[in-house]
Amino acid sequence: MITILSDHTRQEVGERLDKKLRERKIATEFISLTDMNVGPCYSCGGCTDKTYGQCIHRDDGDIILPKLMRTDVLVMVTPVKWGSYSFKTKRVFDKCAVIGDRHYYYKNGELVKGKIGRVHTFVAIGVKDQWQNDEKSAFENLVAENIKIMNIKGRVHLVDASNISVFLDSAVEDLNQ
Amino acid sequence: MKKVVIINLSPRKKGTSMMLANRCREFLSVRDYQVEILHLYPNLKNLSPLLAAINEVQSIIMVGPCYINTYPADTVYLLEELEKNRDVLHGQDLYGIIQGGMPYVHTHESGLKMLELFAGENDLSFKGGFVIGMGAMLNGQPLDKLLNGKKAERGFQYFLENVAKQENSSSELYHQAQLKMPGMVYYLMAKMMNRKIDKERRGKGIGDQVKSPYDNTGINY
Ligand SMILES: Cc1cc2nc3c(=O)[nH]c(=O)nc-3n(C[C@H](O)[C@H](O)[C@H](O)COP(=O)(O)O)c2cc1C
Repeated sequence: MITILSDHTRQEVGERLDKKLRERKIATEFISLTDMNVGPCYSCGGCTDKTYGQCIHRDDGDIILPKLMRTDVLVMVTPVKWGSYSFKTKRVFDKCAVIGDRHYYYKNGELVKGKIGRVHTFVAIGVKDQWQNDEKSAFENLVAENIKIMNIKGRVHLVDASNISVFLDSAVEDLNQ
Repeated sequence: MKKVVIINLSPRKKGTSMMLANRCREFLSVRDYQVEILHLYPNLKNLSPLLAAINEVQSIIMVGPCYINTYPADTVYLLEELEKNRDVLHGQDLYGIIQGGMPYVHTHESGLKMLELFAGENDLSFKGGFVIGMGAMLNGQPLDKLLNGKKAERGFQYFLENVAKQENSSSELYHQAQLKMPGMVYYLMAKMMNRKIDKERRGKGIGDQVKSPYDNTGINY
């Protein structure tokens, strides 16, 4: 299963990718963050001390997190702000800690954490009207660190108006494997 | 007298970010600075106290935890709101401090990069920052309790001097201060911490194979 989590603010890359994958009969779940309301992680410890593995705050994380639990590939489509995920995307990402493997692993001389649910591949798609070079490398570095710490496979794509068609075709091929 | 505002980007008021915020306050208040610490989370519904304070100062220090390799989501929200209220930004110095559980600095550094890019677009002068690993273990205790306590303390002291003088602070400072251990030590650390996690789970009556409460595939949301 491939799950696409998309913050639609000023971009429709996620929807277009989902449509293309469906045309190819590839199983996807599409989650739009537009009408979702996910609160912050307050780092209150409730997911350890009160309801183990579950956030004690009720919000649309209750809809999103069960879906993320059953996906193998997680695709996050996000507008990029200052080399980082959008606010809405990051709210969800922060809460993913609650469904993440809490154990530590040793890899390439360093400590890393485990995956989110059973996700084995993480694909981050950053969308921007116009990319500056330093923002490109900032987002690439951030995603590389995410992939490293989750100890999974993954990649990053930088999309803008000039490369969207080429990107969609190659992403479909890539995700079809 | 110069003014500085320290913004605590952690939802916790007694954690490691606040310990570092207090260190900044102690250092700067005896160096002719008027210092104010403000918390982000209690002000999320109405950021005007933060905006007003930022408008008044020469320097801003943002100090927060690392959540998934950068500052928490709500830091992005704060920056977006600052961008909307750009009239409060007029060339102030911006410093960042980020700390997280993992011992390495590369895993947290993206947070500082975000502040730097934000500053570049929004009429602030980013002057560098400080990165600290093993902040979770510290959990609000003083810096010298770290395994690399002496080095971290020295590096952080230099950083504070840079802030006081409104100088650029080099990333060399926190790179040199970071803990360096042979891989074997990390391997053993992982084993030890995992044993603790599993023991805790068993103590709560949760076995190793238990399903997540979110893993209820039968229920249709
Ligand atoms: C949702 C969440 C995500 C986190 N992600 C990371 C991470 O990616 N890397 C890391 O080293 N620590 C991570 N941590 C640990 C915190 O950075 C660490 O506990 C920090 O010291 C908390 O700071 P505070 O006491 O100021 O709140 C995370 C903690 C939470 C609650």
